[in-house]
Amino acid sequence: MKYVILIHSNPRPWGHPTADYVPEFQALPEEERAAMHADFERRLGELSERGELLGGEALGDAASARLYRWTDGEPLATDGPYSEAKEHLAGFFLIDVESPERAEEIAAQFASPGDTVELRATMWPGGDEG
Amino acid sequence: MNERELEVVWRRESPHVLAALLRRHGDLADCEDAAQEALEAAAKQWDPPPENPRGWLITVASRRLIDRARADAARADREQAVAEEPPRPEPPGRDDSLELLLLCCHPALTRTSQVALTLRAVSGLSTAEIAAAFLVPEAAMGQRLSRSRATLRETGARFGRPAPDELPARVAAVLDVLHLVFNEGYTRSAGDALLDGELTREAIRLTRELARALPDHHEVAGALALMLLTQAREPARADERGDLVPLADQDRSRWRREEIAEGVAILERVLPRGPVGRFQLQAAIAAVHAEAPDAAATDWAQIEALYDMLERVAPGPAVTLNRAVAVGMVSGPAAGLTIVDGLLGDPRMGRHHRTHAVRAHLLELAGDRAGAAQAYGRAAALTASLPEQRYLNRRAAEARR
Repeated sequence: MKYVILIHSNPRPWGHPTADYVPEFQALPEEERAAMHADFERRLGELSERGELLGGEALGDAASARLYRWTDGEPLATDGPYSEAKEHLAGFFLIDVESPERAEEIAAQFASPGDTVELRATMWPGGDEG
Repeated sequence: MNERELEVVWRRESPHVLAALLRRHGDLADCEDAAQEALEAAAKQWDPPPENPRGWLITVASRRLIDRARADAARADREQAVAEEPPRPEPPGRDDSLELLLLCCHPALTRTSQVALTLRAVSGLSTAEIAAAFLVPEAAMGQRLSRSRATLRETGARFGRPAPDELPARVAAVLDVLHLVFNEGYTRSAGDALLDGELTREAIRLTRELARALPDHHEVAGALALMLLTQAREPARADERGDLVPLADQDRSRWRREEIAEGVAILERVLPRGPVGRFQLQAAIAAVHAEAPDAAATDWAQIEALYDMLERVAPGPAVTLNRAVAVGMVSGPAAGLTIVDGLLGDPRMGRHHRTHAVRAHLLELAGDRAGAAQAYGRAAALTASLPEQRYLNRRAAEARR
């Protein structure tokens, strides 16, 4: 079953890895930060090696977004960001795992001080008639 | 020889070719590579194909294995093994597919790896085909396969019959994998899914072969009966828009009678012999549904009795949930709801859409339309299936009216 792991963050200035640009992470001692970065890289490698990581991308600054809204019968473009929310979508990973429990375990490992990690199932076209 | 003809030969011969290689040289990854190279050679050289394609493929692949072992200095120890070990005599009554299945479903592997490896090594599907069947990129499927082969190598898993005391558990794992392959195919065969039953056909084919290799294994027979009785409903399970039709509303005249007859015949043969396992019980439940001319004529008392037995043989919250449906039909919705409400506290079932869908159905039968609408809505929010979500949202709207 497939899930997306959405990373919501507010890096200042916008940058990746987002952790380096959020105060909660910056406040940690240098060794701890280095260890967390190394942990993350290792986990990503493991997921890929297990064939569970299908893809992922880091996103550009929410301020650089172009928004298209249907207005007077046609799409009208404006400049972003999409919402006034404090956090913006900063990146995503697509995983394919054996169980919801495994998805939750992986998502929890993506958590980092200052960021919010959101786990969402992707919809699929099949189903059980029950 | 065109590609299609070669593929037919390959699908038939590849488990035997692999088995012959594995008997002499235990490493699955090396043997698969060699078999693959033999297939590529066949594609270039067969015009017309040899009289004994299996022998040809085994000979060419064996030569490749030996060449590679010699060329690879880092594998000096294995070169010796290849060179010195005399080819093992083939056991009488060859059951190459069974032994390959047992290797691919080795307990050191995760379920998803067992499934992938089975389709690759036993069914002879390409990595790209397996990736397409499971809707994942080929690279990710390739990773899973390599990892599985490496795990087999590390654990020293050997090709061959396991010890007699290990066999029942190992066969049970094979059945779980084949049933999983079947379910993957069956649940995808609705809606706008691209896959058209390739996986269900393959699961049934492999289970048939397994039943031939283990004719006295009643759970293998039970699993085959379950697949046939389920597959029989396939023409009626989705409407013309691709939306799922629940069992109660399916046009039973569209169920395939020959598959039902075969499934029922298998059950009639094995059920009286006992002991009865979970696949036989699930098949028996499917048979009771199949024998009812319409949903109203369903023998729910019989189904409840079968779920009682299933709960003793293979207890679990999903079985309890199904029993709740039967109890609700036999003794009234309140009795069913008591069982379902007991499951809401279970961390997995409380977040499972089916728990809420069953609860909604029972609330509806009890006349609590508002409660049913809410429970259908909750179920719709929790499912990851597009057709199920459309169905559950529709039921929620109807209950609200």
